Amino acid sequence: MPIVLSAQDLKKVYPGDPPVHAVNGVTFELKEREILGLLGPNGSGKTTTIQMLMGTLSHTAGSIIYFGKDLTENRSEVMQHVAFASTYTSLPWLLTLAENLEVFGYLYGMNRKESFAAFEPLLERFGIIDKKNHRVSTLSAGQVTRLMLVKAFFIKPRIVLLDEPTASLDPDIAHDICNFILEQRDQHGVSILFTSHKMEEVMAICDRAIFLKQGKIIADDTPRKLAKSVSTFKLKLTIPDGMKRATALAEQRGYKYVIEHRSLEIMLEEENIPPFLHALSHAGVCYVGIKIEEPSLEDFFLQIARKEKKSA
Amino acid sequence: MNMSWSRIKGVFLRYFYTLKDFHQLSDLFYWPLVDILLWGLTSIWIQHQNNVPNLPLILMTALIFWQVTWRGAIGISFNLLQEFWHRNLVNLFSTPLKLSEWICGTLLLGFCKLFASIAFGILVVYLLYALNVFTVGWAFIPFAALLFMFGWSVGFLSSGLIIYWGNKVEMFAWMMPFLFAPFSAVFYPVDVLPWWAQGIAWCLPTTYVFEGMRQILAGGVFPWSYFWISLALNCVFIYLAILFFQTMFKKSLVKGLARLE
Repeated sequence: MPIVLSAQDLKKVYPGDPPVHAVNGVTFELKEREILGLLGPNGSGKTTTIQMLMGTLSHTAGSIIYFGKDLTENRSEVMQHVAFASTYTSLPWLLTLAENLEVFGYLYGMNRKESFAAFEPLLERFGIIDKKNHRVSTLSAGQVTRLMLVKAFFIKPRIVLLDEPTASLDPDIAHDICNFILEQRDQHGVSILFTSHKMEEVMAICDRAIFLKQGKIIADDTPRKLAKSVSTFKLKLTIPDGMKRATALAEQRGYKYVIEHRSLEIMLEEENIPPFLHALSHAGVCYVGIKIEEPSLEDFFLQIARKEKKSA
Repeated sequence: MNMSWSRIKGVFLRYFYTLKDFHQLSDLFYWPLVDILLWGLTSIWIQHQNNVPNLPLILMTALIFWQVTWRGAIGISFNLLQEFWHRNLVNLFSTPLKLSEWICGTLLLGFCKLFASIAFGILVVYLLYALNVFTVGWAFIPFAALLFMFGWSVGFLSSGLIIYWGNKVEMFAWMMPFLFAPFSAVFYPVDVLPWWAQGIAWCLPTTYVFEGMRQILAGGVFPWSYFWISLALNCVFIYLAILFFQTMFKKSLVKGLARLE
């Protein structure tokens, strides 16, 4: 897939005594049709990076290349194909939804008719078409977030930068938005850079995730591989009889385990689960309940956060 | 009535603590100073005149003309402030929009609002006081244009401060035009001012307009020399003010526009 966005050795230093290195040599690429998660604890540099990618914050060093063109030198031209939505911004409250979207249509070179034709289906998709002629001030926080997404997608962008788009939403709406993001990628080939604190969402929709810590990339891989890098699978068994034989088998294979009443939780690699279960059966251990937990990105995130606390 | 001293003290402190903010301090000191200077100097001038022809017309025309300057200034800075208040600044400048395009768009709207505002003012003055501001004749148009230009300069100046320091200096939008009012000799001739203030006054394009307006109302001809000097000064002011605004916008990008919302 062609690369649509490339950030090379991106740095942001806020002047001061001492200067603050908010982003320190970040290099990554976003491919066409890719959904890339930009993750990290608070203050890791995610929002700073997004702001620099939009040109609303100047970068101290490095380069930002969209579609092979430098952002600094061709800002207006490249931003024609880039949109942004965030939970933390809003739109003029006294304007109606339609007026606001019409204004943004003009900013992207669309006339009134083109704008209406593009944003009405999206308002319908998000269930706020009946609010079209209402002022933004009458919307709930969740509706404003959906309006921001309509604003970002109706201009038919090639890249969308999303800063925590589901932060203030109910789980069902957040789920719908994740589906919408996938639809946009699959049907329109949109590339998306996505920040979120909801790791299960990142797991579900991101093709790749970048973890930032103290302004530096510390991991760049698929969410599944990242999760597996810090955590094993958890095999939870309910064993009414034969607990000693089961723990002896786990010890023999060098697996860590925890016993709680009649429940045994064993940490092991995915490929070792079938042979272990076979060994249990061979040893005559009878289990009445089984649950397998995959490693999660949450574990990865928590490990980073813990390390950060320790280093602080 | 049973009132709690503790709760009254709580309310008092809630507003007292905001006094450290710049705009609260301006309410306490700046506006009284501007009023005292403007109306004090106007009173002194009127007191020393035995027979000023068209005095009400001079004052009303000056008032309308000053509105032109003020509207010009506010047109720019108020639009900028609205984007802060509505958390829309990052949305706007994350689009292909260029700063120069934003400036043109706001100036265009300012121009439309100016027409509406001036037409309304002229009508009210005519209906309430039976005074015709068009007594200055066709000179109204170039004079208004010069004042509007200066208003833009002031607007860019205050917007430059606001785009860098944000909401905490938003009062500059309203304060800045009035900083120039006492020196512009809006309601009184320049020679009413002390000598040092006269020096400042003759460096402002507005002074030439208000002096010229009084000359015409006193039965004189259109002061072409004043017009050209005012235009030249306006060109210098607006160039410097736009340069200042663009520089401050770039400086603000170093800290990021998101911090302003």
